[in-house]
Amino acid sequence: MVREVPLLETQKKLGGNPGEFAGWLTSLDYGNPIEEHLATRNAVTVFDVSHMGRYVLKGSKVFEFLQKLVTKDLSKVKENSMSGPVLLLNEDGGIIDDNMLYRVKDDLWLAVVNAPNVESDLEWMLKWREKLGYAPSDVDIQNVTYDTVLIAVQGPKAPEVMEALGIKGFEDLKILQFLWEPEVLGKKATLVSRSGWTGEEVRSHGFEIWTTIDHGKEILLKAVEAGAKPAGLIARDSLRLEMGYLLVGSDMDESTNPIEVRYWLALTLGKTECVGCDKVQEAYEKGVSRFRVGLKLKKGVRKIPRHGDKVYAGNEVIGYVTSGGYSPLLNRAIALAYVKSSHAYIGFKVNVEVRGKLYSAKIQDPPFI
Amino acid sequence: MGDIVVKTKIGEYLVKDGLYYTESDEWVKVEGDTITMGVTDYAQKKLRYIVNVDLPEPGTEVSAGEPIATLESVKTTADVYTPFDGEVVEVNEELIDSPDLINKDPYGAGWILKIKTSNIDTSKLLTPEKYAEKIRAAEEA
Repeated sequence: MVREVPLLETQKKLGGNPGEFAGWLTSLDYGNPIEEHLATRNAVTVFDVSHMGRYVLKGSKVFEFLQKLVTKDLSKVKENSMSGPVLLLNEDGGIIDDNMLYRVKDDLWLAVVNAPNVESDLEWMLKWREKLGYAPSDVDIQNVTYDTVLIAVQGPKAPEVMEALGIKGFEDLKILQFLWEPEVLGKKATLVSRSGWTGEEVRSHGFEIWTTIDHGKEILLKAVEAGAKPAGLIARDSLRLEMGYLLVGSDMDESTNPIEVRYWLALTLGKTECVGCDKVQEAYEKGVSRFRVGLKLKKGVRKIPRHGDKVYAGNEVIGYVTSGGYSPLLNRAIALAYVKSSHAYIGFKVNVEVRGKLYSAKIQDPPFI
Repeated sequence: MGDIVVKTKIGEYLVKDGLYYTESDEWVKVEGDTITMGVTDYAQKKLRYIVNVDLPEPGTEVSAGEPIATLESVKTTADVYTPFDGEVVEVNEELIDSPDLINKDPYGAGWILKIKTSNIDTSKLLTPEKYAEKIRAAEEA
């Protein structure tokens, strides 16, 4: 079943071209995703990212419960801060999803999960709540995805849009900090965070606003009026790829472990108490047979490696591409790939086979820009 | 008859009058023994922004059903197929520097190539009405 994002009609009024992503109908572009990409890097854009899943976790045992589920030590996450990416693993250490957790208080946490896993992550959490013996009253989990929206304002000129939205105190937010229940356009939102998935949250400015559907509609329209260019999921994908950010389902899944993905951002090494944590430590100590790397094709090459395309060193197949795209900033194709750890020649050239032809590419550790 | 605009929940797609269409979303204009081909408005909207076009050399012999050009978009890669045997006589070289002409003007400046052919059989092609039906069926599936 395809479900429309709540603000689809508003997106269309702003020029959105809908398409399907992970069971959602939402705008994949607003006419020219390259321009949307460049506007994010050089000015400011607004994305409706409500296709991402949102949960509210309440209760006296929530902190303890989450600590047993995810790969990062959450005791280091302060109030009004986000955890950064954390992983949900299966018992073999395979990656189910990466989530972002928000610590409001010890007994109130929020989670943002990837669109394909809105239902399955919840089921997984409920399964573990039961297995670990927590009472629903001590760990209450609500899926609020369908009743709320998430609007991202990204780019060097994002502060101008935040001013126009009447948000107070956003200037003081450091990366991954959030304002709890701030006023936006004179009404209370759930939160405003300094975050995003475009790279601008670290390079310049990126903010996300979590609120109700009607409020989100006003915010989206006002952001565009204030100069933000509306942008869709294709630009979001090329932006994340330039940063080397990982897409679950494409760059990682239950058959990959966090060490070969080299997802150090999402791990506290040595943590023993999460589901699959022991397997992470085991892989770390034993070593892995493949590594995630970046591939940068030659300038001007617009042949785009796609998921599954082979990577060669001479005649030897050393790996395969997991996602590829065109980088408007670098004017060339870039990709993420797994290569054998014996052949993870960072800085060296390899070949990637795109539709039967070989193209030279340099192995690089992302970000590409 | 005039042009047809197919409106669905997802989008609006122009089907131009005076052209034939294929099941694989190409348009075909027949002039004597030469056909001009491109991809339809529906195809370019599904492919989205096109960043690269690979064209055959003029003089290339092609067979019906064979891929003759490749379009690389921000979303995917797609082949263009010829409906008839023949010889490529001209390609749109503007597309090399401006592949997005296909997005901007799929039935005009975004034409892809011309093929000279001795066995034009328009009964193998779709009329605008039939092609519009095909889009509707695909969108509503």
